[in-house]
Amino acid sequence: MKYQSFVGLEIHIQLISETKVFCSCPNNFGDEPNTNVCPVCMGYPGALPSLNEEAVFKALKVCKALNCHINEKAVFDRKNYFYPDMPKNYQITQFESPFGVDGYFNLELDDGSYKKIRIHDVHLEEDAGKMIHDGYQSRLDYNRAGTPLLEIVTEPDLVAGRDAELFVQQFRQMVRYLEVTDGNMEEGSLRCDANTSINLPGKGLGTKTEVKNLNSSRFVNKALTYEIKRHAKVIDKGGEIVQETRLWDEKTSTSKSMRTKEDSHDYRYFPEPDLPPYRVTAELMKEVLSSMLELPNDRKKRYLEDFKLSPEQAAFITGERKTADWFDSLLKLGADSNQAASWLSGDIQKVLNKEDVSLEESPFKVERIKELFDLINAKKISNNIGKNLLQAMFKEDKDPSVLVKEKGLEQVSDTGAVEKVVDEVLAAHSAVVDAVRAGEEKQVGFLMGQLMKATGGKVNPQMAREIILKKIKLDISGDSQSRDPKIVDKGSEK
Amino acid sequence: MKKYREYVEKWERKIGSFLQFDPEKTKGDSNPDGVLKGIPFGVKDNIALKGFDMTCGSKILENFNCPYTATAVEQLQKAGAVAVGKMNMDEFGMGSSTDNSALAETNNPWDTSRVAGGSSGGSAAAVAAGLVPFALGSDTGGSVRQPASFCGVYGLKPTYGTVSRYGLTAYASSLETIGICGESTAITRNVFNIMRGVDVMDNTTVDYKPSGKDDTQTIAVLKIGDGDLSEEVLNSYKVSIGRIKDLGYIVSEVELPTLKFVVPAYYVIATAEASANLARFNGIRYGLAEKSAETPSDLMQMSRNAGFGDEVKLRILLGTYVLRSGFQDQYYHRAQKIRTAILGDFNRIFEEADALMLPVFPTAAFHHGSSDLTQLQQKAADLYTCSANLAGLPALAVPSTIENGLPVGVQFTAPAFEEERLFRISEKLEEIFPAQKPEGFSKEWKA
Repeated sequence: MKYQSFVGLEIHIQLISETKVFCSCPNNFGDEPNTNVCPVCMGYPGALPSLNEEAVFKALKVCKALNCHINEKAVFDRKNYFYPDMPKNYQITQFESPFGVDGYFNLELDDGSYKKIRIHDVHLEEDAGKMIHDGYQSRLDYNRAGTPLLEIVTEPDLVAGRDAELFVQQFRQMVRYLEVTDGNMEEGSLRCDANTSINLPGKGLGTKTEVKNLNSSRFVNKALTYEIKRHAKVIDKGGEIVQETRLWDEKTSTSKSMRTKEDSHDYRYFPEPDLPPYRVTAELMKEVLSSMLELPNDRKKRYLEDFKLSPEQAAFITGERKTADWFDSLLKLGADSNQAASWLSGDIQKVLNKEDVSLEESPFKVERIKELFDLINAKKISNNIGKNLLQAMFKEDKDPSVLVKEKGLEQVSDTGAVEKVVDEVLAAHSAVVDAVRAGEEKQVGFLMGQLMKATGGKVNPQMAREIILKKIKLDISGDSQSRDPKIVDKGSEK
Repeated sequence: MKKYREYVEKWERKIGSFLQFDPEKTKGDSNPDGVLKGIPFGVKDNIALKGFDMTCGSKILENFNCPYTATAVEQLQKAGAVAVGKMNMDEFGMGSSTDNSALAETNNPWDTSRVAGGSSGGSAAAVAAGLVPFALGSDTGGSVRQPASFCGVYGLKPTYGTVSRYGLTAYASSLETIGICGESTAITRNVFNIMRGVDVMDNTTVDYKPSGKDDTQTIAVLKIGDGDLSEEVLNSYKVSIGRIKDLGYIVSEVELPTLKFVVPAYYVIATAEASANLARFNGIRYGLAEKSAETPSDLMQMSRNAGFGDEVKLRILLGTYVLRSGFQDQYYHRAQKIRTAILGDFNRIFEEADALMLPVFPTAAFHHGSSDLTQLQQKAADLYTCSANLAGLPALAVPSTIENGLPVGVQFTAPAFEEERLFRISEKLEEIFPAQKPEGFSKEWKA
């Protein structure tokens, strides 16, 4: 494309808190309509807001995670506009001096490189209620009115729809790590408005349009990709972009004009006189800092660099904080990082998916998995038995060592015992033995299978294979078809 | 009790200070053993009192039954005082006469053809007539002190942040406080000390310790220019200067250079805040709802159009105008600078003097209607009172003289949190000139 494109995001997250941001009503808006309300959040005459410290704390965590400068004196402002679901007909928000300004987020791009996305500001505000149009009636539920919202505004540093999609995904992951929101986009606990403009390279920002109603990161990408193309078409034809707010329609995959700049509100911001400027003290910041943790992108980087995990494994493990915490505590017990990563992203996840249980709720305690690894690594059980054991560990909620004993799964590595079983198998399948001798080496696999069947998989497979080959007295030295170099070596010793 | 009701009802036919009166209604909410045990008081109708309606003198809230009680009122109830009713006022506190009440007319107990002042006219009139020994008002730009002066009672506007505003219907949040109209210095002081204190429901309340330097030695007196005051008020003012000199205070004349800017600054800030504060009245959750509205936005527009009076609409429009983006530097921010400047003026004076004396209002109580003072002249006359609101300082109106049958008061102000200095000065003046009673006054409520 001959144009340069610019994308900025405004993301709202609903903060998890006991109470609403300016009163003591429960922050729980799924309840029976208009039950979690009081004179304050209903905007009764004479009621005043009083600031919820928990919401402030969480806001500061996000500011810190986004590397913002924290305004020591944070100010609340009134944003004035009339809307039936807004009890006071102004929203208490932050405009001139929000909690956080001038931050950045290191966005990981698809090729694994990073791009610094500047954060304009992070501000705390109150949510509105909900209006439901129902035939000839409009119904209002104020349970959500006054619940804490945190808005994060980026600079227009994102270039394309895909960047924005990645930003939303990685930002969402980060705020879930911080446990400040559940980040559910479909339910509206994370909402995103996107604005974009294009211009000829070197000409700076163009006239922007804003798209609302984007309730998944995929839609963010689609809508922005659509908008950028639409802008280009308009400009190509010699037209001009109208500064406006547009609505994304997922059904038609198009955006439609909602209101132009001329119809836009003059919000008449002014400082909220009912809330004195909030002083962010050094003590509070100390508490905020001590509550911080390694953020997902940093963690992923560490896994890639220190443990050489594959990007897929690293992405999977860092996807949820609890998974990554589980992984780290397994490593703390001394587990090998690659073994832990491949089991976690492979067989363990398979069982969890099948049983539809989360890792932290499952019987897969790190101590048990470490014990399982120890059994395998000491060759007390085979890798395959280990994998099967997972299912039993899940069902019976027992330690692997206990299960190995109970089920007699300990690997047989006693040569005499193995030879005895091999003799029995070879005797029962003499035709196959002949075929192997005649060069059908693949048939060894069949014999191994029979052997495993007869022993319940308990024999040390490497040893068993050697014994079978020895018994058949097959000389395969120089056979380039062999897939097992160890067998080649053994054979060549003969 | 029957006698009390009869007394109140007799007076009420003349002055109409109450919008609602029922001495039994909230009796059960008051502590039977507090220091103010059984003392009745009136509550301005923009202050929340559970059980009564809270109309704010407006049609838009005419039938609004208040579901909660203001913190300051609760404090008084805990101390044993009994709220007996709601006092008439200018609609949402916007006015200097109580004539802007959409619901009733209040007359001055000294001359029923004259106003009781405003906006807390009902509160001051009821105290002056002896219907209650004190009543709560609210003071945004002089709304307690001016009617107190017009009716010949004491009127306190406390330091901003000392008394919780939780439950006070907001007109101009950064300027106003709940105030007291009292029949004596003693009861005004008592009520103030009971009401004050930090309230978790009002984040603008502050914890503080007064300096303890209560004994005032020097009082600065505002220099009055020619024609600034009516003859009666000027005469009364001179009497007050003589009295404080006689009491042994060191008196010096001072000027407030910023004074000529305070009224425009006050109206910019007050109306800006009012435009947001009054946005909540939209007919949806409570209050007047126009039945014929077909959409939520119609409902809001029609209810506001029908519910608000002209003065309220004027101030909302003015406030909306001054807050427009691109015009804030010209109006709102400039007004805030004047606000800082007037505080600077006061601070300079308080470096030399312990308190400052100044007039309350340029005239005594005027006649109903705009014949004596137009609405604009009434606004311009707020200069002596609204400076204390802009600066957040405590100010007390004290009865001074009776001029041509009408009481005239004088005002004292002091540094923030120094209310006690004001009470001490007031007490000494009260010994010389106690609050006078209008004809027909009796202390029935004590019986």
